[in-house]
Amino acid sequence: MKNNLLIGLALLLSLPSSFSQEIPIKGKELFGNLKARHIGPAVMSGRISDIEMHPTNANIVYAGAAGGGVWKSIDGGTFFTPVFDEHAQSIGSIAIDPADPDNTVWVGTGETWVRNSVSIGDGIYKTTDGGTNWKKMGLEKSERISGIKINPNNNKEVFVGVMGALWGSSKDRGVYKTLDGGETWENILYINETTGVADLAMDPTDPNILYASLWQFRRSPWSFSSGGENSGLYKTIDGGKTWNKIHNGFPTGKLGRIGLAIAPSQPQTVYIVLETEDSKSNGLYRSDDGGNSWNHLNSNFELVVRPFYFSRITIDPKNPDILVKGGLNGAISRDGGKTFKPLGTMHPDIHDIAFHIQNSDIMFVGTDGGVYRSWNGGVTLEIVENIPVSQYYHVSVDNAEPYNVYGGLQDNGSWYGPSSAPGGVKAKHWNSVGFGDGFRVLKHPTKNIIYSEMQGAANVWRYDVDRIQTKTIQPMAEKGDPKLRFNWNTPMALSKFYPDRFYIGSQFLHKSNDMGDTWVKISPDLTTNDSKKQDQSQSGGLSVDNSGAETHTTIFTIAESPLDENIIWVGTDDGNVQVTKDAGKTWTNTIANIPNLPKNTWCYKIYASNFNKGAAYAVFEGHASGNMTPYAYKTTDFGKTWKSIISEDVIGFARSIHEDYKNENLLFLGTEFGLFITVDGGLNWSRFTNNMPAVAVMYIALQEKTNDLVLATHGRGIIIIDDISPLREVTPEIMDKEVHFFSSKPIVMPEEGGFSEFFGTETQFVGQNPSANARIVYYLNKRHTFGKMEMEVQDVEGNSIASLNPGKSKGLNIVDWSFTSRAPKIAEAKTISFGGFVAPRVPAGKYKVVMTKGKNTFTHEIELIYDTNSLVTSESRELRMNMVKILFDMNEELAYTVYKMNTTIKKAEDLILEDTNAKKVAQTVINDLNTLLKTMVVTTGDNYVASAEPELREKLADLYSSVTNNFDRPTGAHVANFEAIKERYDDAMASYEAIHKKQVARLEDYLKKKDKFPIEFKSFDEFLK
Amino acid sequence: MKKIQTFLTAFLFISVLTLQAQTADEVLVNYFENTGGLEKWNALEGLKMSGVANAQGMEIPLEIIQLKNGSQAVIINFQGQTITQFAFDGEHMWSTNFMTMQPEKSDSEATANMKKAAKDFPSPFLNYKDKGYSVEFLGKETKEGTETFKIKLTQDPVLVNGIEEPNVSFHYFDSENFALIVSETQIKEGPAQGQTMTSTMSGYQEVDGLFFPFDMSMFGQGISIKTIELNPKVENSIFAFPGE
Repeated sequence: MKNNLLIGLALLLSLPSSFSQEIPIKGKELFGNLKARHIGPAVMSGRISDIEMHPTNANIVYAGAAGGGVWKSIDGGTFFTPVFDEHAQSIGSIAIDPADPDNTVWVGTGETWVRNSVSIGDGIYKTTDGGTNWKKMGLEKSERISGIKINPNNNKEVFVGVMGALWGSSKDRGVYKTLDGGETWENILYINETTGVADLAMDPTDPNILYASLWQFRRSPWSFSSGGENSGLYKTIDGGKTWNKIHNGFPTGKLGRIGLAIAPSQPQTVYIVLETEDSKSNGLYRSDDGGNSWNHLNSNFELVVRPFYFSRITIDPKNPDILVKGGLNGAISRDGGKTFKPLGTMHPDIHDIAFHIQNSDIMFVGTDGGVYRSWNGGVTLEIVENIPVSQYYHVSVDNAEPYNVYGGLQDNGSWYGPSSAPGGVKAKHWNSVGFGDGFRVLKHPTKNIIYSEMQGAANVWRYDVDRIQTKTIQPMAEKGDPKLRFNWNTPMALSKFYPDRFYIGSQFLHKSNDMGDTWVKISPDLTTNDSKKQDQSQSGGLSVDNSGAETHTTIFTIAESPLDENIIWVGTDDGNVQVTKDAGKTWTNTIANIPNLPKNTWCYKIYASNFNKGAAYAVFEGHASGNMTPYAYKTTDFGKTWKSIISEDVIGFARSIHEDYKNENLLFLGTEFGLFITVDGGLNWSRFTNNMPAVAVMYIALQEKTNDLVLATHGRGIIIIDDISPLREVTPEIMDKEVHFFSSKPIVMPEEGGFSEFFGTETQFVGQNPSANARIVYYLNKRHTFGKMEMEVQDVEGNSIASLNPGKSKGLNIVDWSFTSRAPKIAEAKTISFGGFVAPRVPAGKYKVVMTKGKNTFTHEIELIYDTNSLVTSESRELRMNMVKILFDMNEELAYTVYKMNTTIKKAEDLILEDTNAKKVAQTVINDLNTLLKTMVVTTGDNYVASAEPELREKLADLYSSVTNNFDRPTGAHVANFEAIKERYDDAMASYEAIHKKQVARLEDYLKKKDKFPIEFKSFDEFLK
Repeated sequence: MKKIQTFLTAFLFISVLTLQAQTADEVLVNYFENTGGLEKWNALEGLKMSGVANAQGMEIPLEIIQLKNGSQAVIINFQGQTITQFAFDGEHMWSTNFMTMQPEKSDSEATANMKKAAKDFPSPFLNYKDKGYSVEFLGKETKEGTETFKIKLTQDPVLVNGIEEPNVSFHYFDSENFALIVSETQIKEGPAQGQTMTSTMSGYQEVDGLFFPFDMSMFGQGISIKTIELNPKVENSIFAFPGE
């Protein structure tokens, strides 16, 4: 057996080098334990698409987010945790298996509230362990799943409503059925390539009875259409073998989206909301005969508003006459649908409602702003404060320390907040800087002014933070101008060269040199100006929906070269890439030079390179035309030629790209399904998955001073990867070395200490802070599994300072060191001295990190420096460290003395037991030492409020920790206290010496005389070990 | 020649098959084989591990003692005091209150859960069927940068605040040498409930023919084992609740 292992080990060691040529620079190990952190925010959560309650355990609630995955609560909705991070984050429908509700849950991905910015799904998933592991069960091309119904008597039989593709035709639509728990599927109701299932319901008393609403719908980048001749309501009573249209009581003409629900307590009662050609016949219908006939009850606003976005009906599980309809504010009826009143105040846009299983006064509501709870039937609502599923469109950062993060959210305004804060980034740290749907938020480079915007540049604000003054500054049409077309997500950009310069794009590029007070157009219409894509007044289909969200043929991205103010790139939503080299006098459309790109593909992002004036990256995506392929290109010659930098590793269509500032081959790409990183200019891409969900990454910023990668995710808020600089050095050569330490800049030792509230925010999400420690980063070519591997910090002379826990992963490892050496050894006593927990901080300077790995030793030098922003002076630090050193040594000397005293007492006590003649000499020693000991250490009491009065040990340790825990020089009080303690310490030591010389010496003589073993002490060094 | 070729092909085919069609049992058989053999593991009566817990700047000496009958104790040494941080004698589970330094019994639910786990020594995987546990092979996964086999272990359900909950954990065995390198369990209660607790194992060394990980890490806190004694002689009194 041992031989097996040895051979195995030998093989392991020899393998990497012999295959070194073939290592592609990609894979999970590239990132090792470089981890993302989430800072939310959850002060405004995000869109929730579906909520499901466990059928028998009211503590368990699942919430599906529009772009933020599945969240599970196991405490009745107080806390939610994400359980679906590895998979598509856009959730259509969740179903808990009624036969195995603790374990088996189905998730259909792809949201069905199909606004313009909606994300996509990639199939149906199942967990059989309550959400820890998920397995994809097919329907990969479904894009959106609107309903999952499980036969309670046979949970292998499952019906799934597939809404299908939003932006194109697809055969993957309709009702699907499995009889083997999802291994195989049969499409049992299909209409055509444009019509999918909007809602699906199963009779709770008879699983053969199902209702399905079919919806004809389509989006394009410039329009939306709801309704058509193929929409309809169907029913089966034979488990899906046959389906019949049940339209008795419906108006004639085309139908749109239909929401439906069966009253759980009276299944013959079915409610639907209907979108029709005639606004008078829109709204709520009720059937009390299982759908054979329908009565129109109500066309109130909440029942007819935006059916594509709101069509959920939820019925009280116990009372068929109480029902709630999602809507702008949501509405509840307590008279069987005759009249409705709005739900209480909460974030608007209500998508789903779930009643508590036992008490219908308790309900959960899913909104555009997160999950709300009501305890009184929807009259008042409170928000769940720990679901950070905000949908960012953009992110930017400033240069403050810590830097701030700015960005706008789907339906949740615009915000900025710190990248770190004492105790973590909390709700209170975020500041609102805009209403409505927020997009770009940009900090003026030199003034405390923030620009923000709301949908389609309806407002562009210039906000003076210090004076709390706001001015709207968006460009407006001048005489002779056509209507200005601003994208819903209007591009704005700052200049690297003039702090007051500001760009905005309509179909023209507008430039201001005075922070938006005056504007000049510096381009002609840069779009295709295709009039067929410009009439949004009829957009929406049966229900006109001209919100501005579909405005098309607009500029979408602006990039001023960081190397030359005259070079500006512009990309348009209708597929143009324009460049000027003379600040807008002339423009060249380079789109024809881009290979293998379908015409009119949306240019989502242009990034002007940091390294070469002619170089730029362009990212395109055609998802709104049904094309889900990722496209990213690079030019180095002002767009004359473009080369694709996408490899087959990239999953999901791409929207954003960022180039590193130091290594032009290090690129970051945001796609619909996460973050991808290349270290070789795009030959190989690796998905970053360390605490990074498969969430849409809409925009990327890279903080120049910290090298933090800051991601705007459309569903999980802001995610930060701290200091990506090690990735700059990754090459095949270092991946082949047994150990490679990455170079590190001198490491600043922060001298900060702040306060944070302890209570009152228990249920709030708290964003993680970055580590404030020194990072030691290295790459291992093999995981270290066998034999010892240790790491310690040494000073330049080789003295051991601190031992660390080294990471053993193959790939990148990051080890934190808190700048401290070891804590002092504290004297033994009855209680614990908490001062002894404190380890002193080392002085600035050079240190060696020494890794021993098997027989090999690897050394890396790091340098620590003081924080230049700190108020503490070098002289103060020296004074503090001197006193810390003295107190540290006194603590250990005291500990050693106490050890010697205890050893002596023990020896004397043992001696008396075996030799009564020794009592006289030994008892004196015991008495004298114990008397002294009581003044040196605590010998009674406990560690809390029954504590004894502190003695020398406690006083010494407390002073030591007080001085050590400060960064500044000791105060006058410290010095005076030190004098007092020192005197007592000296007295105690002198007393000990006196006893030792007299009474203990007599005892030693006695032992010698009687030929007994002498009193033996460990040496001081031995004792400290 | 042809025969040899056929034989070789068949051999290759079989080895490829075994590589692809791993079962949980194959992984576990290899794990026990490579770490000392089932016979030795079955003969093991107890363990005494001595090491240090490493918290920034502080090294806390500790001893972990586990016996085949489920008795166990974690004893730390702190500022010269020996503190039983946690112990279980088969009947009572208890710990030392750090405020009073007095022993206190754990709540009955935690004790009941501990009783169920008493048969886990030295590994819940050893004779898992006899223990009533089940295992499932969930495929390969990259952990710690390394290809591993992922095994799901289902043990006796535990009680969490009065509700019986499944006791499921996930274990990752290095696919090259079948060493267990990562374990994950879900935290059932407290502020971190629902989150996954990950432990990593490394620094495997041989002790009298059995291989043990000498370095373990949980939540970034490391435990470094210095010595392991097999079948130690220990007084039963160290496990017993001293308050009665």
